[in-house]
Order: sequence, then C-alpha cells, then structure tokens
Amino acid sequence: MAPFVLVTPETVEEAIRELARDARTPTAVLAGGTDLLLDLDEGRLEADRVVSLRRLPWRTLSWDGSVLTIGSTLPLRALEADPSLALRHPALLDAVRAVGGVALRHRATVGGNLGRSAPASDLVPVLLVLDAEVEVVGPSGLRSVEVDRFVRASRETALARAELIRSVRFPEPRPSAYLWQRVRPANDISQLSVAVAFSPSDRRWRIALGGVPPRPLLVPEAAAALGGPVPEEIEVREAAAVMAAHRSLVRDRRASDEYRRKLVGVLLARAVRAATRIGGPPR
Amino acid sequence: MSEGRPVHLTVNGTATSMDELPDDELLLDTLRWRLGLKGTKEGCRTGDCGACTVLVDGETTLSCLTLAREVEGTSITTVEAVARDPVGGAVVAAFAESGALQCGYCTPGFVMALTGLLKEGGRETPLPRLLAELGGNLCRCTGYAAIARAVELARARAP
Ligand SMILES: Cc1cc2nc3c(=O)[nH]c(=O)nc-3n(C[C@H](O)[C@H](O)[C@H](O)COP(=O)(O)OP(=O)(O)OC[C@H]3O[C@@H](n4cnc5c(N)ncnc54)[C@H](O)[C@@H]3O)c2cc1C
Ligand code: FES
Ligand code: FES
Repeated sequence: MAPFVLVTPETVEEAIRELARDARTPTAVLAGGTDLLLDLDEGRLEADRVVSLRRLPWRTLSWDGSVLTIGSTLPLRALEADPSLALRHPALLDAVRAVGGVALRHRATVGGNLGRSAPASDLVPVLLVLDAEVEVVGPSGLRSVEVDRFVRASRETALARAELIRSVRFPEPRPSAYLWQRVRPANDISQLSVAVAFSPSDRRWRIALGGVPPRPLLVPEAAAALGGPVPEEIEVREAAAVMAAHRSLVRDRRASDEYRRKLVGVLLARAVRAATRIGGPPR
Repeated sequence: MSEGRPVHLTVNGTATSMDELPDDELLLDTLRWRLGLKGTKEGCRTGDCGACTVLVDGETTLSCLTLAREVEGTSITTVEAVARDPVGGAVVAAFAESGALQCGYCTPGFVMALTGLLKEGGRETPLPRLLAELGGNLCRCTGYAAIARAVELARARAP
C-alpha cells in the first residue's frame, strides 16, 4: 500500500473542512475500510490523505414511528441485532446477511457499501425497492438524494466534493425479499440477485436486479406486470419474462448471460413468494 | 508516513504502546511483525479466507482489512491468549478432540471466529446457522466435516 496520512476528525464540521481544503492532495474517506483498503492496496485508488469517519456520531439506528434511519458508519453486523428489521424490512436483513462474513460485517458499513456503489452490491438493490433516501452532508449543508440517483456506476456516486453520506432513510415498512446466487455463500460476490417489495401506500411492486453491470437497477417494466399485493402465478411469469430479456444480463467472469437469463425468473418467483409470505402484505 | 502519535492497544490483556506506527500499517502486520504474535495467519490479505481473524473488543475482525490505528484504544485478543477465556478454552479443546485440523493454518482463524460467535450468543443459534456464520473462514485440508463436529461440541460445552 502506498503510504498515506490518516486524519481522524472529531466532528462532522471538521471532517468536511478536512475534505474541502487542499484540492490537490488526493484524499479518500475511510469507514470500515473493507473496500477502500483493497482499492488503495491494489492501486485502483490513490490517496495521500485518508480521512477516517470512526469518531463521527453516525453509528446509529433509529425508528421514528415506522420510518427507519440508519447512520452511515453503523457496522452491518449491528443491523442484524435490530429486533424489528426482520418484520418491517425482511429484504434488508437478508441483504445485510449476504455481505461477506460475520467478521467482515463487524466493520463494513452501509455508507461504505453505497460509497463503493458496486454493480454486485447486495444492499443497493434492496435500497432501490424500498425507495431509500441517502442523506448527504457537505460544505453547503444537508441534502437528500434518492438511491436511484445516488448510485451512478461502479465507484461513481452523486456525491460532490467534500460531501459525506450521513445516513440512509427508509420511508415505510414493506413486504419484501432479497435473493441471490453465488458460488460460495460467504465472502463471495453475487452472480445475480433480485430484490422485490410491495408498497402499501401506492400499492405497487418494485423489482430490482443486482449482481450485473453497470449497476443495480429498478425494472419497472417487470414490476408493472405484478398486480396487487398477492400476484397471480401468471403475472409472476410475465414479470419473469420481462426480466429475462433485460439488457443487463450479460456474460462476464462470474456467469454466462444464458445462466443469468434462466436464473432470473427462478429468483424472481421465489422472491415474490417470500415477500407475500413474510410479514403478510395488507390485503 | 505517520501522524507521529503513539498508538495504545491492549493486546491479550497487556497494555501496549507503539511509537512510529505508520498510518497505513494493517493490524495483521502489527500483530505478526511488530508484536511477534504469529499465531494470527495471513492467508489471502484480501478478506476472503478468515485466517487473520482476531477479536477487537470481543468482535471478530479481519486484521488484514483493518488499520492498526483505526482500532486504537481497543482490547485485542489473538489465538495466543484465547484459551484464557472459558469459551475460547472450550473451542480450542473441541478442535483438538475432534481432530478438526490437518495443516492447521486455518485453525487460529476458525478458533477466533467461533469463540466470537459463541460469546455473542451463538449457543442459542441453531447449528446450521452457526455453521453458516463461519462461512467466512476457509479450510483447504479437512473437508470441513471434523470442523463441523468441533463446532457442535464447542457449542454444547461452552459455558
Ligand atoms: C471478502 C469480501 C467480501 C465482500 N462481500 C460483499 C458482499 O457479499 N456484498 C456486498 O455488497 N459487498 C461485499 N464486499 C464489499 C464491502 O465489504 C462492502 O461494500 C462494505 O459495505 C463496504 O463498507 P466499508 O465501511 O468497509 O467501506 P469503505 O471501504 O470504508 O468505503 C468504501 C467506499 O465508500 C466511501 N465511503 C465510505 N463511507 C462513506 C461516507 N459515509 N460518505 C462518503 N463516502 C464514503 C469510501 O471513500 C470508499 O470509496 C466484500 C468485500 C470483501 C473484502
Ligand atoms: S488474510 Fe485476512 S481474510 Fe485472508
Ligand atoms: S487444516 Fe489446513 S487449511 Fe484448514
């Protein structure tokens, strides 16, 4: 790893000041480090200065009624301990548990997962179907960005210079499910994943596709095929056919396009079944 | 490069202070090369194998993906001292009795990972889930059957 200076600000204001000063020194933000340290070590990113977020007061999880807000530096393992997550956001719990292994999740954070914006991120597809909002803080204050606009491509987000992810907000509990396929269950990257959720407020489904380039995506054309809270078998089959034709299902080093096209319908049907079972959607 | 401040860690119960610790030094290297605690293994250095697992304030942590300075002020337990803990002791005994190792390279990581899980309440965790939660640890020798027996034994016996 090329040497760097580690800076550990005590407050959010200090962190933003550190990031804003001196545009010429390549600077990186460090949360759990499970992506960043490898990117630095393997030369995909360069930094002379690394700003650690570990002292910022963002290791939080709070429910305001049914609205969930997760602080960006909360380790993923801590999310698993929340007693209401399994009922209110089952897909989020499944996605969190899909990330790495337990020891990795003791350090890996939600903010880091969004900051990395990996095509195979397990969290992004679920954040998409839950209409999560990314709360961003920077030199000009606080703003909120929907996940679909926040995540642009691999290592590319809507963050402007000196901005940080403060938290992620989930507007409403939804019957939901997240399913993935990979070679090794732990510490491996999904070849394909599917997230589904039904919104009780607009009474529509969301479907997202993960594990494929260029980034996890909502597939509204497929979601439109699903009618009410408990879709008919034929609607699920129609949604699956739309998914199978998706342009993102390409061949890469993790799987062939053929395999992905076959798999996507299976995952979708199972996910819809799981979502309509867990938590029992409103009828 | 370094901020120059000394770093304080408690390692296996002993307060340790290190000057001149480079900011980019990984906890794995601090343990192995600075402190000579070579029980913690380097298998991949990329987070894939779990051989470098240690406990940081009781939580299993991949020392190859953690900067030493980031865990400043914490208490670290490595395989050298794990048996001083009653749960750790039960895990070590279960691995020995089950013959859950061949070359032994993965063993410190498995022992730390299982000790962490059992201390976190893993005795209540159903066995299949407990085994799945060890999925971050790789073994290239045993075929895992003996390791699974050790896990079952340790879970039953851990205080
Ligand atoms: C062995 C292994 C297995 C993995 N398996 C999975 C997996 O199954 N699924 C999956 O989704 N991911 C996986 N990952 C990737 C990684 O662990 C996750 O993306 C994790 O959530 C990253 O969080 P972090 O806190 O470690 O991020 P860091 O490495 O600290 O940061 C990642 C990026 O985000 C930026 N960043 C971090 N926090 C903020 C913030 N608050 N504001 C602005 N920018 C920020 C950093 O600058 C950096 O660019 C794996 C990684 C490894 C090494
Ligand atoms: S050496 Fe750390 S996970 Fe392999
Ligand atoms: S005993 Fe050799 S790697 Fe596990």
